[in-house]
Amino acid sequence: MTVTVDVSALQIAARIASTIDPVFTMIDRWRDRIEAELLAVATPSAARLDPRIAQLVGPALEAPGSLITGAGFVAAPGYLADAPWHLAWWLSGANTFGAGEGQGLRRLDAVSDPDAEQFRDYTVLEWWRVPARTGTRHLTGPYVDYLCTDDYTVTITTPVRAAGEMAGVVGTDLYVASLERELLPVVRESGYPCTLVNASGRIVTSTDSHRATGALLRLDGLGEALAPLREREGGAPADATALPGGGALVPCGDTSLALVLENLRD
Amino acid sequence: MPQATSRADATHAVVFSPLDGAGRAELVEQRLTDAIVAGVLRDGERLPSESELAKRLGVAVVTAREALVALRDKGLVLTRRGRDGGSFVTHDRDAAVRMLDERVRALSRIELRDLSLHYAAIAGMAAEVAADRASDDDLASLADIDARADLMSAGGARRAIGRFQLEIAAVSQSPRLVHEELRLQAEAGPLLWLCMREQAYRDRSRKTRLDVIQAIRSVDPADARRATTAHIESAVEWLIDEKVRLETPAPLP
Repeated sequence: MTVTVDVSALQIAARIASTIDPVFTMIDRWRDRIEAELLAVATPSAARLDPRIAQLVGPALEAPGSLITGAGFVAAPGYLADAPWHLAWWLSGANTFGAGEGQGLRRLDAVSDPDAEQFRDYTVLEWWRVPARTGTRHLTGPYVDYLCTDDYTVTITTPVRAAGEMAGVVGTDLYVASLERELLPVVRESGYPCTLVNASGRIVTSTDSHRATGALLRLDGLGEALAPLREREGGAPADATALPGGGALVPCGDTSLALVLENLRD
Repeated sequence: MPQATSRADATHAVVFSPLDGAGRAELVEQRLTDAIVAGVLRDGERLPSESELAKRLGVAVVTAREALVALRDKGLVLTRRGRDGGSFVTHDRDAAVRMLDERVRALSRIELRDLSLHYAAIAGMAAEVAADRASDDDLASLADIDARADLMSAGGARRAIGRFQLEIAAVSQSPRLVHEELRLQAEAGPLLWLCMREQAYRDRSRKTRLDVIQAIRSVDPADARRATTAHIESAVEWLIDEKVRLETPAPLP
C-alpha cells in the first residue's frame, strides 16, 4: 500500500538521508581499504592491521565538528592469526568515557582474552549479529552503550570480507544528542508534525516535544509499515506507506530510518 | 559500541570511576573492599598501580596508597615487588563472609533501609520506563539473561540479578539510570543480595524476573515497578533479620 506524500516531506526525508550518507560513504571507503589490505597479506595479523586502522579512522574522529565519537574494526573470531578475538576501536576526544579531561584520540581498552571475567562474545551483539546475518550495513540504536561510550548512541556497522569469508565489521559510533542537533532543524522544516524513527519504531527525534527520544512510537500499523525497512536495510529504499490512522511513513533513503507524518489531513 | 569485550562486567568499570567529592582513603578502601568481597574483582587479579588508581578514581596518589595499605592490612590485597610486581587481590570465601557480616553489623537499620530505598527508586523507575520502551529484541535479551541465570550458587544468583537489572536500565534508554544502576550495584549489591545465600530467595529472584518480563511484555509499567521494588524490599527485610541474628549473642550453654 503506497501513498502519495507531499513533495516537501520527501525532500525532508532525502535531506535526513544526506546527513547520514557521508557516514555510510566513509565506512564503505574504510571497508574497501581494509579489504584491500587483507588481500595484500598472506596471513592477516592484528600487529599489522591495527596501525592501518588507526590511520584510517583517526583523522575522521579528530575532524572538528565530527559527528562520530568512536570508530574502528572488529575482527571475526579466529580470523587474525595473532589475536583470536580482536577490537581495533578508537574513541575521539569528545568521547569522555573512561578518560580524564582534555584527553584526545585514544584506543578503546578492550578485553580480548576469552578466559577473562570481563570478556564477552561480541558476535551476539546487534551491531555484529545483524550485519553478519544480512551481509550488509546495519544501524543499531539509539541505545545506551553502557559498556563503551557510556552514552546514548547509534552504531553503524558493515561487514568486511576477504576471500569469500567475513573477516569482521567496520563501523562507527555517533552520539544521539549530536545526531538530534543536526536532524531536528531539518525535521522541523517539513511544517508537519513529524517524528523520525528507526526501523523498530524507536524515536530518534520529533517536532512534537512530547515524543521523547528513545520511546517507542506507538501508532496503528506502524510495526507492519516498518517491516520492509528492517528487511531491506542497505538495499533499495522502500516506498512511502499510508498508516491506518491517517498518517504516512516516509523512508529516509537507505538509512533504515523513517519519517512518520501524523495528522496529514490537517 | 564494542560492549562486547570492553566491559562485559560493567560493574567492574564503575569500581574505577571517579569518586564524588573530596577523595578520601576510606571511600577508596570501601569501594575496593566491596568489589573484592562481591567478586567483581577476582582473586589473583592485578589492581592498577597506585598512580593509575589515583588517576582513575580522581584522588591523590597518597590517598590511593593509604587505601591500598588498609586493604593489605585487611588481608584483601597482596603486594609483590619486582618486575612482575604490583598489588593483587587475595580473597577467599571465608574472608568474604566475615567481611560482609562485619559490614551488616556496622550499618544501622536506618542506613540499610535507606540504601535499599535509594536502590528501589532507581531500579523501580528503570523497570517502569523499560515496560514502555522495550522492543521485541529487548524482551528477547531479558529472557536470555534469565535463561542463563545460575540459581545454584549465591554468586550466580546475584550476578544474574545484576545483569538483569542493568539490562532493564539500558532498555529504559536512560544513560543516567544505567550509570546510577551500576554505581548502586557496586555499592549496595553485595549487601542487599546477601539473601541469595538461601535457595528460597534465589528462587524468588527468578520468579521476580519472570514477573517483570511478563509486565514488560504486556506494557504494564506499574506492575514492572511493583515487582522490582517488592523484590528489593524482601531482600532488605532479610538483611535486617540477619543483622538481628548477627547481633544476638549466642545463648550460654
